Amino acid sequence: TTSTGLLGTLLLTLALAGAQALTPSHHLCLADVARLQNFLSQQFTDLESAYYSVVGLSKLGTTVPDQDVCQFVKAYLDPTSVESLFFAAETSQAISGCEIPVSNETRDILLAAVSEDSTMSQIHQAVSALSSLGLPVASQEVVGALAVLVTLDSRLSQHAEIGGILEEIEVSLIYFQKFEEGLEATAMFVTAAYSLSDHVEIEPPLKEDQVIQLVNSIFSKKSWDSLSEAFSVASAAAALSTNRFHVPVIVTAQGPATVSHSQPTLQLLVTDVLSQPLTTANVLVESATAVASKSVILSQAPFTLNDGVFELNFMSSQPASGYYQFSIAVTGDTRLVANHVELKVKVSTEVAITNMDLSVVDKDQSIGTKTNRVDYPSKAKSQFTADSHQNFAMSFQLVDINTGVELTPHQTFVRLHNQKTGQEVVFVAEPDSKNLYKFELDTAERKSEFDSISGTYSLYLIVGDATLENPILWNVADVNLKFLDEEAPATIQPKTLYVPKPEIQHSFREPEKKPPTFVSNAFTALVLSPILLLLIILGANISNISFSPSTILFHVGHAALLGLMYVYWTHLNMFQTLKYLAIIGGITFLAGNRMLAQKAVKRLVHLLMLSVFYPSEWSPLRPLGVVLSRRSGCSISVAPSFGPQRMSLVPGSEKQRGVVPT
Amino acid sequence: MSNSVISVISRFLEEYTTTTSNKLKVVDAYLLYILLTGALQFLYCLLVGTFPFNSFLSGFISCVGSFILAVCLRIQINPQNKGDFLSISPERAFADFLFAHTVLHLVVMNFIG
Repeated sequence: TTSTGLLGTLLLTLALAGAQALTPSHHLCLADVARLQNFLSQQFTDLESAYYSVVGLSKLGTTVPDQDVCQFVKAYLDPTSVESLFFAAETSQAISGCEIPVSNETRDILLAAVSEDSTMSQIHQAVSALSSLGLPVASQEVVGALAVLVTLDSRLSQHAEIGGILEEIEVSLIYFQKFEEGLEATAMFVTAAYSLSDHVEIEPPLKEDQVIQLVNSIFSKKSWDSLSEAFSVASAAAALSTNRFHVPVIVTAQGPATVSHSQPTLQLLVTDVLSQPLTTANVLVESATAVASKSVILSQAPFTLNDGVFELNFMSSQPASGYYQFSIAVTGDTRLVANHVELKVKVSTEVAITNMDLSVVDKDQSIGTKTNRVDYPSKAKSQFTADSHQNFAMSFQLVDINTGVELTPHQTFVRLHNQKTGQEVVFVAEPDSKNLYKFELDTAERKSEFDSISGTYSLYLIVGDATLENPILWNVADVNLKFLDEEAPATIQPKTLYVPKPEIQHSFREPEKKPPTFVSNAFTALVLSPILLLLIILGANISNISFSPSTILFHVGHAALLGLMYVYWTHLNMFQTLKYLAIIGGITFLAGNRMLAQKAVKRLVHLLMLSVFYPSEWSPLRPLGVVLSRRSGCSISVAPSFGPQRMSLVPGSEKQRGVVPT
Repeated sequence: MSNSVISVISRFLEEYTTTTSNKLKVVDAYLLYILLTGALQFLYCLLVGTFPFNSFLSGFISCVGSFILAVCLRIQINPQNKGDFLSISPERAFADFLFAHTVLHLVVMNFIG
């Protein structure tokens, strides 16, 4: 069920997001229009800024002081520049009574600009200037030049016809909706699209939500970077409020969207994007639904127009306090776009506290309770005292002052404030099924929340809600609470929550207990001592060592290996060690191989000699001698001690193969 | 009883000194040396504690490994086992012994910490 709940929430969120996307969330409010006018009314610095200022202001419907502008334009006009002529002509067109003198050369320059060699904007400026100056334009030439240029522009090449350009708007829309071209380009696109549509009297192919997105993207920026940007926004605003096809409607509540008995009418401002009221429109509440109960309170009720403001007396349908969802339709003109608006309206009311009864009840109920009634906003005259055998009880009702209906506000709290220590304890008062609030304080059970501090507490009632116009904080009475095991009040300090916590120290691992140095050293010596024994024993056997180079090299190499092991322990890593080990080990291996081979030969020669003397006993060794002589390649030089004469004892015998006589 | 034990031991020693070759005696001396070293290390461990545990382990493993290698060497060069190791000459056995020792002590040194 949780997942379905989540899914439902997700769908609702999406639906809400979709609904919000369909409403214009940005427009130029009156203050924005004033700021835009102010921004456009800058001192002119050149013809271009004059053009942006004057034409932009005229789009906003503001008049410009004519005489100064006309003189400025005439002074700055460069009669040889198409751009300058364009700015001057358009500016003079926007103000009345300003004639720009035109010479024949000027006209020729402008006419020459209408050719295939010019850019699109040059042709635009030339044609605009010509028509603004009241000069004839050869429309056939213009169309011809434009057709060539349009064919050159790959994006437009498919649609050289005017009708095709309308389709092109649809394609361009994709770019502008992403707002990739910047504010100025988007605004100029909107202006141009509606000018073209007005001119050819064909509705621009923009859907309602696309128009709304364009409105939002153009008017979301409230501070403008440059005159040209402000000019483009002013032009787009004028286009969106005066064109013949789409007029976006902005519906806003005047002031907060709140009604109450003192302010029973809901007031709406229905305007275009420039905050000009659409007085001809009909405004209708299609339905007004209570958000909490989903019940429809009102449907198909018209607003009445009163001095530019649409009004509806919503309180006449006697809504309960809370939030209402209004679905509003604006009709009366086919051009209206975004004319179905959702609006959230708050109905607020005032609350009164009635039947406030206070009593102290014995737990065993043996004594009849005596209740004291207190009237808001006065405080109970007598002080109440409750000890651990008694409960302090409080009951009251909250009613709507205007209708007498019982209310259950969001926040209803009972606050007990210790007058001496400043400690406060807050409880929530809950209504029962009859909307009667009851609060009972069991002093024995609740003593831990009071830290068992007896004393006089001020009893406050707190009532609040978003739909209440008069939130209440009322000191109802003083209550003397007595707890059984009272602790010393001195132990209760106001808790300081914001003192720094003790610093966390990093603790390293405790070193292991080490034995005394003496013991360690003694055992080191003891462990090493058997080597002496070994040396003593070996000393007796060292006598028959031979001192051939290979022997010396082998022993030195072996010692070096042992040294390397020590150095590995103290200094080197495994890779370095293996490198050195390969070098030393290789040398030692070769030397050892040679040394041991010599020893083996010596031994085998002994054996062979013996086998000569005792053939039967040593016969298995004969092949060994043969192998040895072949493999080692060392001609077995029979040691002089054996004597050649001994070899000659076996001439011609098969054993001779094994021993090569020298 | 004690007399017979003494006589057995003396007989054993006599046999050993007379019949065992000099080479084997050297290997036996080496074995004794290793045995004593290992025993002393173990004694230290019992009395004082294992604190640098990896050092103790590497030292003891070195002793055990060396002892095993030396015993192998002794088996291979013993003339009485000649029949079992026909293809392995005593020199070959000694070379193997040295090589195995080098590898063993590379490990031991790596572990000593």
